[in-house]
Amino acid sequence: MFGKKSTAGVNTKEVKAILDEKKTKMKLSLKACAHCTLCAESCFLFMGRNKDPKYMPSYKFLNSVGVLYKKKGNVDLLDLGEMRDLVWERCVLCTRCYCPVGVDIPEMIALARRVCRSQGVYPQYERD
Amino acid sequence: MDFSNTFFWTFAYDFIRGPMVWIAFIVFFGGTIFQIFSLLSLTKEQTISKLTPGPGRFIPKRADNENKKDWVMWLKLSIAGVNPFMTIVSSVFHVLLIIMPIFVLGHNILLDNSFGLSIISLSEGVSDFLTIIVIVCAGIFLYRRLFVDRVKAITTWSDYLFLFLAAAPFVTGFLAYHQVFENYRLIISLHILSGELMLMAVPFTKFVHMIYLVIFRFTIVSEYSLGRGNRTW
Repeated sequence: MFGKKSTAGVNTKEVKAILDEKKTKMKLSLKACAHCTLCAESCFLFMGRNKDPKYMPSYKFLNSVGVLYKKKGNVDLLDLGEMRDLVWERCVLCTRCYCPVGVDIPEMIALARRVCRSQGVYPQYERD
Repeated sequence: MDFSNTFFWTFAYDFIRGPMVWIAFIVFFGGTIFQIFSLLSLTKEQTISKLTPGPGRFIPKRADNENKKDWVMWLKLSIAGVNPFMTIVSSVFHVLLIIMPIFVLGHNILLDNSFGLSIISLSEGVSDFLTIIVIVCAGIFLYRRLFVDRVKAITTWSDYLFLFLAAAPFVTGFLAYHQVFENYRLIISLHILSGELMLMAVPFTKFVHMIYLVIFRFTIVSEYSLGRGNRTW
């Protein structure tokens, strides 16, 4: 319970280096997100999946880049696996999502994909 | 009440009414300027001719007339068209959040007494009514956070805290004006303190959307930018 979290299988230094490149934008975006959900209807996947909250652009952004930021890059393969489902299966990076406050959601999703891919976590379409 | 207790409360009251006001405004304005530069530093200027429809500015053309823009369709597809109720509630809430502190009579009497500055003020009845509107809007936001699934999905403890912080000056101001509780000094101190905390929180918390929304909509080009934005990410 009080032991160090295991990040076996993840090169956390590499993850932190990727996050550091977009650190300012990531911080500002996470801070500015007002959790208003007004971005929801801009996502055609949200509209097509019976308005399931898990398809909201803000949900995808907060549960991918938000988790990476909160954990300061110290994520494990389980975290990245959950993120993979969010940023690949629930987003096609069509860049249609809008945010009234100006958060660049597609770039944040792309950042999460980059982190996952750097650790060998990505959808294996021929297998899945 | 013993001497030290009285001294503390007198000191706290004088501090909240005096130096703390200056601190709050300095932090607010200084932080705002810093955050404006932070956001603009993440963007770059882009000449308008290079920005093409698609992720850039795109207003659909009317089917019957190729040269005219279809503003009705543009509005229908915007946040205002898709969520008219939330657009109205949110707009009313935010406009009153900014206007009320500037034009309420009690504040302007203080300004007049302190600096000889005389600003036009709303009547007390109108201020009272508008305060109730703000509190109702805050109540709608709270309802959404508690009961609307999609909002619940991304709500954290900080959302409740900031909603409380935004509504607190209005609630305490209403209670103080109507002298609901016997201890007027305590309520008015809470009113002043909550206003100061809210001001200081603006640049450094999610209240920064107050600044970012304006900058983003007017400078960074996108499908729904207002005006001729000439910056991009």
